[in-house]
Amino acid sequence: MKVDRKETLRYLGYGRQEADGQTLQLLEEVAAELEADSMPKSIYREYGCEVEGDKVLFGGLAVTSASLARNLKGCRRVALLAATIGRTADLMIKKYSVLNLAKAAIVQAAGAAYIESYLDEISAEIKKDAQGRGLYLRPRFSPGYGDFSLEYQKDIFAMLECSKRIGVTLTAGNLMMPSKSVTALIGLTPARGQSCQMPSCSQCGKTDCEFRQEE
Amino acid sequence: MKFKDHLGKELLFFDGAMGTMLQKQGLRSGELPEVWNATRENVILDIHKSYLEAGANIIKANTFGINPFKMEGTGYTCEELTQRGIALVKRAIAETGKKAFAALDIGSLGKLLEPLGDLPFEAAYEAFRPVCVAGEQAGADLCLIETMNDTYEIKAAVLAAKENTSLPVVVTMVFDESGKLLTGADMEAAVAMLEGLRVDAIGLNCGFGPDVMKGFLPKLRQICSLPLVLNPNAGLPVVVDGRTCFQVTPGDFAAIMKEIAAEGMSILGGCCGTTPAHIQALVGACQGMPPLQVTEKNRSVVSSYTHAVVFEERPMIIGERINPTGKSRFKQALREKDMEYIYKEALVQQEHGAHILDVNVGLPEIDEVEMMRKAVTGIQGITGLPLQIDTSDGAAMETAMRLYNGKPLINSVNGKQESMDTVFPLVAKYGGMVVCLALDEKGIPKTAEGRVRVAEKIIAEAAKYGIGKKDLLIDTLTLTISTGQENAQVTLDALDYVRHQMGVHTTLGVSNISFGLPQREKVNTAFFTIALSRGLSAGIINPGSEAMMAAYHAYCALNGSDVQCADYIGIYSQQPGAPGAAPAKSGEISLYDAVVKGLAESAYQAAKKELQDKEPLAVIDGDLIPALDHVGQGFEKKTMFLPQLLMSADAAKAGFDAIKEHLKAKGDDSASKGTIVIATVKGDIHDIGKNIVKVLLENYGFEVIDLGKDVPPEDVVKAAREHDVRLVGLSALMTTTVSNMEITIQLLKKEAPACKVMVGGAVLTQTYADMIGADFYSKDAMGSVRYANELFGA
Repeated sequence: MKVDRKETLRYLGYGRQEADGQTLQLLEEVAAELEADSMPKSIYREYGCEVEGDKVLFGGLAVTSASLARNLKGCRRVALLAATIGRTADLMIKKYSVLNLAKAAIVQAAGAAYIESYLDEISAEIKKDAQGRGLYLRPRFSPGYGDFSLEYQKDIFAMLECSKRIGVTLTAGNLMMPSKSVTALIGLTPARGQSCQMPSCSQCGKTDCEFRQEE
Repeated sequence: MKFKDHLGKELLFFDGAMGTMLQKQGLRSGELPEVWNATRENVILDIHKSYLEAGANIIKANTFGINPFKMEGTGYTCEELTQRGIALVKRAIAETGKKAFAALDIGSLGKLLEPLGDLPFEAAYEAFRPVCVAGEQAGADLCLIETMNDTYEIKAAVLAAKENTSLPVVVTMVFDESGKLLTGADMEAAVAMLEGLRVDAIGLNCGFGPDVMKGFLPKLRQICSLPLVLNPNAGLPVVVDGRTCFQVTPGDFAAIMKEIAAEGMSILGGCCGTTPAHIQALVGACQGMPPLQVTEKNRSVVSSYTHAVVFEERPMIIGERINPTGKSRFKQALREKDMEYIYKEALVQQEHGAHILDVNVGLPEIDEVEMMRKAVTGIQGITGLPLQIDTSDGAAMETAMRLYNGKPLINSVNGKQESMDTVFPLVAKYGGMVVCLALDEKGIPKTAEGRVRVAEKIIAEAAKYGIGKKDLLIDTLTLTISTGQENAQVTLDALDYVRHQMGVHTTLGVSNISFGLPQREKVNTAFFTIALSRGLSAGIINPGSEAMMAAYHAYCALNGSDVQCADYIGIYSQQPGAPGAAPAKSGEISLYDAVVKGLAESAYQAAKKELQDKEPLAVIDGDLIPALDHVGQGFEKKTMFLPQLLMSADAAKAGFDAIKEHLKAKGDDSASKGTIVIATVKGDIHDIGKNIVKVLLENYGFEVIDLGKDVPPEDVVKAAREHDVRLVGLSALMTTTVSNMEITIQLLKKEAPACKVMVGGAVLTQTYADMIGADFYSKDAMGSVRYANELFGA
C-alpha cells in the first residue's frame, strides 16, 4: 500500500496549485518512512441490523442517531470495522515536531491519507464478499459523524476487542490511539440504487470546511 | 504443591479458551465475561472442570478483563470478581480431585500509556494492583499476564504483581507476523526487559495458531534463558456469517503442538478457539515428554521499547551529549525546563549513529528526580534508542529505572560499598546493565592491576544480588595524559585484561584522555582506535564528531565486525572527500531569502553574518519579520502552503537562535513582546496545530508558555494567573472536547477576567467560538499571530 501523494497535498491545503520542490521532497521522505514502518491492522465483524425511527440495532447494541439511521435505511446487515495504520505516524509527528515542523505537518496529512487508502482496501474486501450474497455497500459511517455520539466507541471497542486484536485503545475522552485509526459501520443493502461506496462530504455538518467537496 | 517446584521440571499444561466457551453459553458480543463469576458461576465452574478432566494442570481464572476501567458501572468491584474468579478455579480443582494450579489471569487494560496515550505509567500500575492483591489473597498459585502487546504496560503489570504479592509471574505476549508486538517491540527487546524484571516464564499467546507460532520459537529458545510458554489460538480467526470462528481441529492442534514440544517447551495450552477437546488431544499427545532444558544464554543486552542492543564483537557508541557538564546552553535548558532542547540533542545523536544515549540531567539547583522523570519519559517518546541512565542520585536513578520502557544501561556503580549498596538492589529489581567504575574508597588505583582488583570486587558483590558478569560493563577510567603520560597505558592494560582475561564487557569516557591539550580531537581519535583494538565494548563519545565516528567505522571495517564493510561503504561512498557544498552556498544567500525559502542552516549563518555589523533589533525588524510577513501573507492568499510556512518558521527560528546567542554573549537578555499561555484542552490529545502556533508566536517575539495537551481547565487558569498573562490560546480538535474548551473559557473569565482567549482547531467556526465565549477565533496559525500583535500593540 502506498501513501496517496495527491490526497496528502490536498489535506495540506494545496488545491489545484503545484507543490514546490522542497515540499515534494519532504513528502517523499515522509511517505517512504510511513510505508516502511507502519503496521496496518484491521478487524471487522458483520451483524444483522434493524433500523427503527432514529434507532439502529445490531449485535446487541442499540444506537440512537438519526444520521446513522438515515445512512443505514433499508439495510438488514451491517459490517462493523476498526482499522489502524499503527503508531508509527504518531511517533513520527512527535519526532518531527522537534526536528522539522514542516515534516510533522506532512506526516499528519500523509497519515490521514494512508488510513483512508487502507479503509478503501478493506471496503473493497467487504464489497467483494457482499456481492456474492447480492448485497451492496452504503457509505462508511463513523462515530462522531452527525449525531452519532463518540460515546458508542466504548461499545464498539468491546464488540471488536480492538485493543487485543489490533492494538487500538480509547482515551478517557473516547479518542482513539494510535490517532490514525478509524471505526466505522458499513451498511449492506439489497437495493443497488442506494449503494454508493465512497463517503461524501454532503453528510457532514461543517459546511464552511475548506476541504469540502461538492458533488 | 508449589508451581515453581514443577515449572521447568516437567511439561505442564494450561487450559484453553474461556471466551469461546462462554459465547457458546450465550455471552453477548461486548458483554463482560468476568461478571459471570457472580451471575452465572456454575457455567464458569463447569468450564474449569471440563478443562481439568481434559488434563490441564494450570487453570486460568476468569479474571482476564478485570480492571477498574472495565468494571466501572458494572456494580462489581475488581476485588470481588477476582476473588470469585479464583475461588471458582479452586472449587473446580477440589471437586474434580485433580492436581492443578490456579492462575490469576491478567489482561491488557485497553488503554495506551503516556507519552503516546493518556494513561500515566503509575496509573496503569495502580489499576493492576488491586487485582494482584485480591488474587493472591484468594489463593492463586501464580499470576499469568497474557495477551499483552505493549512492553510498557507489561512492566506496570509485572511490578504490580511482584511488589504486592509473592506469586510467580508468567508473561505471554502477542507478536504479529513480523515478530513484533503491536507497539513495535521485537522479541529480543521484550525478552531483555522481562528477564531484567526477573519474571519466571515467558511466552506467546493468542494472535495465531500453533503452525505460525512454531516459526517464532527457534529464535525465542536461542535468546531466552527462562522457561517458555505457548498458548496459541485454534488457528487464525475467520469471519463466517458475521461470527468469528477458529477452525483448527483438536487433532491438528495437538499434532503441531507435539512437534513443538519435541523441540522443547515448558508449558503448553490454548487461547481463543481452543476447547476442552483441543486440550485433551494436546495432553494426550504430549504428556510425559521432557520439558525444555532451560539454559543461561549469557547475553549482554539492553533494550528500548522497539529493539535490543546486544554487546558482542561489534563495539557500540554511547552518545554523551545529554549532559550539562561544561555546557552553559544545556544548563540553561535544564533550568528553564526546555525539554525540546534536550530532545533535539537526543535526535541529532541518533542521526549521527549513536546506539545508546546517555542521559544526565543533574544540576545542583534543580530537582533532579523530577527532571529525570521528564527526560526519560520524554526522550523514550521520541527515539527508540536504549538509554543510559546517568546519575549519582539514588532516587533519580530509581525513578528513571521504574519509568524506563525496556532494560536500561545504568551509569554508574563503583567499588565503594555505599555505591554498590544503592545501585545493585535497583538493578536486581528493575533489570539493567551497569557501568562499573574501577575506583573505590581508596580512590582511583594508579596501576592496571589495582583497577582490575576493584573490578573483581564489584563483580563479586554483584553476584550476591544475582547480577551476572553479562550485565556489567567495566570502566577502567580514562585520565588525561596531560597530567601523566602513563595514564593511557594503565587504562588500556586494565581494559584489555578485563575484556580478554575476565570476559567482561568494557566502556570508557573516551575524550577525558586529552583534557588540557590543544586540538583534543586528534588525541581522542587515536586513543579511541587503540582502545577499540584493545577490547573496548562501548565508547562514550560525541557522535557529532565526524573524526570520532570515522575512526569507529574504519575500525569496524578493519576488525571484520562490519561485515563486507557494508556500513562503511554505505556511509562514506555518499560523502565527497572535500568539505560539503552547503557552507559555501549559505554565504551567498541573504537572511531574508533564507527564511522565505525555509533554509534553516543558511538562515542561522546569514543571521550571524549580519550581526557582525548590524544591531540585533535591525536584523529582526529589517530581515526576519519582513520575511515571515511575506510568507505569512502568501499563506493567507494561498500562494504558499502550510509546509512552506513551517519551513520558513523553522528557518526564522534558527535566525533568532543566532540573535539570542549573540545577545547572551554580550550579557544581554532579549526582551519579549509579551507572554502567552497556550494549551490543547482537556480530553484532546491532538496537538500539532497548537505546536505550529507556538513556533510562529515565538518567531514574532512572544514568550510562549506551552502547557501541552489534555490540559485541565484549572491548570490553564493557574498558569494564566501565575504569569499574569494577557492572552491565552486554546486548541481543540474534536466536537466533544470543544465543551471542555468552553469550561476552560468560563473559568478563565471568572478567575482571570483581564485575560483574553483565542481559540482554534479543526471543528471550530466563528459561530462556535462566539457561542463558547472566546474573544478571538483564529482560523489558522497566522491568525493567532495577527491577533497577538494587535493585542500587544506591536
